[in-house]
Amino acid sequence: MDIFIQLIYSGIALGMIYGVIAFGYQLTFATSSTLNFGQGEALMLGAMVGLTLSNLGVNYWLIIPIVCIFGLVQGSVVEYFGVRPAIKIKSEFGWIMSTIALGVIFRNLAENIWGRGTYRFQGPVADEPLKIFGANILPMEILVVIGAVAMMLMVEIFNRKSIYGKAVIATANDRDASGLMGINTSLVITFSYALSSLTACFAGVLIAPLTLAGASAGGSLGLKAFAVAIVGGLSSGFGIIVGGIILGISETLTGFYISTGYKDVPSLIILLIVLSIKPSGLFGKTTIKKV
Amino acid sequence: MLKNINKLSFALCVLFGTMIAGTAFAQTIKIGVDGPFTGGSSSMGVSMRDGVRLAAKEINAAGGVLGKKIELVERDDEAKNERGVEIAQELINREKIVAMVGYINSGVSLASHRFFQEAKIPVINNVSTATAITKVQFADAKDKFIFRTSARDEIQAPMIANYAIGVKGFKKPAILADSTNYGQLGLADLKKALAAKGITPVAEEKFNVGDVDMTAQVLKAKSAGADVILTYAIGPELAQIANSMAKVGWKVPMIGSWTLSMANYIDSAGKNGEGAIMPETFIQSQQNTAKRKTFVAAYLKEFNPKNGRIDSPVSAAQGYDSVYLLAAAIKQAGSTDGDKIRLALEDLKTPVVGVVKTYNKPFSSTDHDAITVKDVTMGIVKDAKVVAVGEK
Repeated sequence: MDIFIQLIYSGIALGMIYGVIAFGYQLTFATSSTLNFGQGEALMLGAMVGLTLSNLGVNYWLIIPIVCIFGLVQGSVVEYFGVRPAIKIKSEFGWIMSTIALGVIFRNLAENIWGRGTYRFQGPVADEPLKIFGANILPMEILVVIGAVAMMLMVEIFNRKSIYGKAVIATANDRDASGLMGINTSLVITFSYALSSLTACFAGVLIAPLTLAGASAGGSLGLKAFAVAIVGGLSSGFGIIVGGIILGISETLTGFYISTGYKDVPSLIILLIVLSIKPSGLFGKTTIKKV
Repeated sequence: MLKNINKLSFALCVLFGTMIAGTAFAQTIKIGVDGPFTGGSSSMGVSMRDGVRLAAKEINAAGGVLGKKIELVERDDEAKNERGVEIAQELINREKIVAMVGYINSGVSLASHRFFQEAKIPVINNVSTATAITKVQFADAKDKFIFRTSARDEIQAPMIANYAIGVKGFKKPAILADSTNYGQLGLADLKKALAAKGITPVAEEKFNVGDVDMTAQVLKAKSAGADVILTYAIGPELAQIANSMAKVGWKVPMIGSWTLSMANYIDSAGKNGEGAIMPETFIQSQQNTAKRKTFVAAYLKEFNPKNGRIDSPVSAAQGYDSVYLLAAAIKQAGSTDGDKIRLALEDLKTPVVGVVKTYNKPFSSTDHDAITVKDVTMGIVKDAKVVAVGEK
């Protein structure tokens, strides 16, 4: 029983790591129906900038706002150079290539600046595990769960309560109509990219004490997060959390009870089942495309 | 139009002319260097490259080989098999290299070497350890062009098993290996070595490169009652194993292949990584020969690594030695012809003083491995450095 609880804890922590990255996919998809495939790289940049500050002796809690500002800038750059030209010429797929390309550029840039190693990122809490209900959990894992939920809540509240957030939701619902109502929709799209990179960079600093920081860390995590976004539904913030936890727990449980060699298989099977039964994701709204 | 074509053909003539002249009157001896200089294995790749650079610089300063300077053609394979293949073809066909040193990742070695074998260009594989590199691949070929200056898994695995079972008296080992060629081939060698001692591992667990959570693997080993963990993987994931063990509050010794000495394992695992034990051909603190002393001093002066610690001393030493062995062979052959260099390597007349050891007839036509069991000692991670087991 202890082992089962331990696996559930680790699965939830792992799932929240995936979920907090996947959240960024959902933000840009809502406003512009485009995705930033460089999400994993934004996460990595956040972690590396955070690590640099941490090595300079900056306090962990102070690093977070600085990295968030960095994320805003980085996301705006991606949108301006990668996505805006594609949207302007109404290219269906141009943004896929350009966001992947920008991701590669960011990764190479990071390798040149920070080297190619994998580094330890000292978290703000103790490394010793706590014992809860007979199983161990790291304080940092609890912090990741709290941080991820807090971040998602803040973005949701911002979208629902503030006038700027309402502009985002309006653009998400009907871009042309909100353009006619005087909302600067291209600015809203830029903003959604900035916000998505902000969440990614924040996630980078949040999870780096658990995952280690390195220039190549973005790739595989970004891909797992993408699967989470598909399973949970690209239009639902809540779905992302659930999707992340489903995948995280399925990984640890399969790893222990079946074989560690097959631990990635159930998540892919879940992905295929969701795509064939409910392509918009478990919690996604089904959209009807009128032609 | 005609004029343009004339111009073009003239330009082409000039171009080809210089290319032919370039190869016919080569003033340097081109040696290819391949390794991962980026990514998770880069601490080994960069240390190896720096060792190679240091050796080439020293040889050139002493007048070069056959009156020519050594020119290194370095390429980053990013630890990717397909990049290794591209590099092999580029270096053979375009750069026209004389010989090749390098290779960190066993998968890249096994994917790339056949091109050199076909082109009759000798390779001194100086870091990757899969037994198959010198033992299985091209086993049927009459002349084999792949040599090695690293301790193959067939040596390392029995040493690991012997230390864990024979010296320490553990009875229930669990094996944790990554899913790459390196991990899986090492796992097979390790199982064979344990079987020879009449021991079956209580658990065999896999993980992928880039995995961030090892709870499931560690818990399986724990619930199987393992009293020691044997590893075959690279730095970042080894660190995740150590960290996950600390998380679930379970501590048994970790003994594994030499990658437990990688800087990114030692640094990333921090205090969780202390006490890990691995076989090593060279330990930085063991400066017990004159050559080792001068090598460490020259390396630290040339590259000035952080805290005076070579990131991967084993890779640096083996890389350094591989260039000296190659230079000795070219000198003895009196030629840069691939087949003549191979024959010279298989029958080196004068001993070569290296960092790992003094190479006295290191290779023969049937044995292309320079390192034997007695050249390898056990190292342990202590205060973020690797020292010899039992060293004060």
